[in-house]
Amino acid sequence: MKVKLRFFARFGELLGNSLCIEGREGMSVAGLVREAAAGNKAGYDAIFDETGAFRNFVIVMRNKKRIRSQDADLIYISEGDEIAVFPPVAGG
Amino acid sequence: MMLFGDEGQELLKDATIFIAGAGGLGSPVAVYLAVLGVGTIILADNDTVERTNLNRQILHGERDIGRRKSVSAGDRLEALNPDITVKAIDATIDATTVHSLTDTADGIVDALDNYPTRYLLNRIAIEKDIPLFHGGISGFFGQATTIIPGETPCLRCIFPHPPPREVFPVAGVTAGFIGMVQATEVCKYLLCKGELLANRLLLWDGMQARVEEIAIEKDPSCEDCAGRAPPEH
Repeated sequence: MKVKLRFFARFGELLGNSLCIEGREGMSVAGLVREAAAGNKAGYDAIFDETGAFRNFVIVMRNKKRIRSQDADLIYISEGDEIAVFPPVAGG
Repeated sequence: MMLFGDEGQELLKDATIFIAGAGGLGSPVAVYLAVLGVGTIILADNDTVERTNLNRQILHGERDIGRRKSVSAGDRLEALNPDITVKAIDATIDATTVHSLTDTADGIVDALDNYPTRYLLNRIAIEKDIPLFHGGISGFFGQATTIIPGETPCLRCIFPHPPPREVFPVAGVTAGFIGMVQATEVCKYLLCKGELLANRLLLWDGMQARVEEIAIEKDPSCEDCAGRAPPEH
């Protein structure tokens, strides 16, 4: 199944802004993001902590609705989903 | 101004807005609120103008390098509109100063560069029941939302945890873009016109030339507002 994964701000600079990913049945939102970021250590480390959990400031959206990042391992992707991952930006 | 009428201009003239920071976001917000005719602008900053600020901090110019930002900003705003009152204060915004800085404010503009102080402003906005016009920028990215205590998620509902402190360069145009969103929100709020950027987080990606918005919701477990309902008036 095809899923669109979008990274914003610093995450997009590290991992690309928009990726079209061939997802697998039973794949979680967190699993999808982990797999997409796995090839880029700086990008992966910016999003995930050493246990593989989303860092607590990371915002995860599924189809423009926010999901709690701690639930992202239990929410499964569907055909046509758009997953967005971004950090709050701090500058002013 | 024809667009607002005499009544609208009076509403702006009677208003007091506190702008937290005279840097990248504070500059365009302050300039446009001044020329809009917002009657009293209180602006606080504890920094000195440096050459590296000048790509985005349009309150200050070459000859202001080395001056306190509050002084430079006050001079610039008074030159732009001598008919308004500008209180440019050289102060650090912290728990000891925030009450007096915001005492008379009808709204707070978040033009800060860190989340701990943003959370402080968030709590004050909730306590005083006044709006917080949030903006944040990094590189060519920006975000903005308007927080109305009780009616919208508060800043802590949206961002319960601060991102790590990092120094990123900011494109001046990003500060201009997000600052204009914030100033527009202040204007609409004071005039009671239009639809505010409430319950929505606007995301701007200048490199992709995309504006997106996402729905945001109150967090019943929020440590600052506990997802509280609107106050009864």
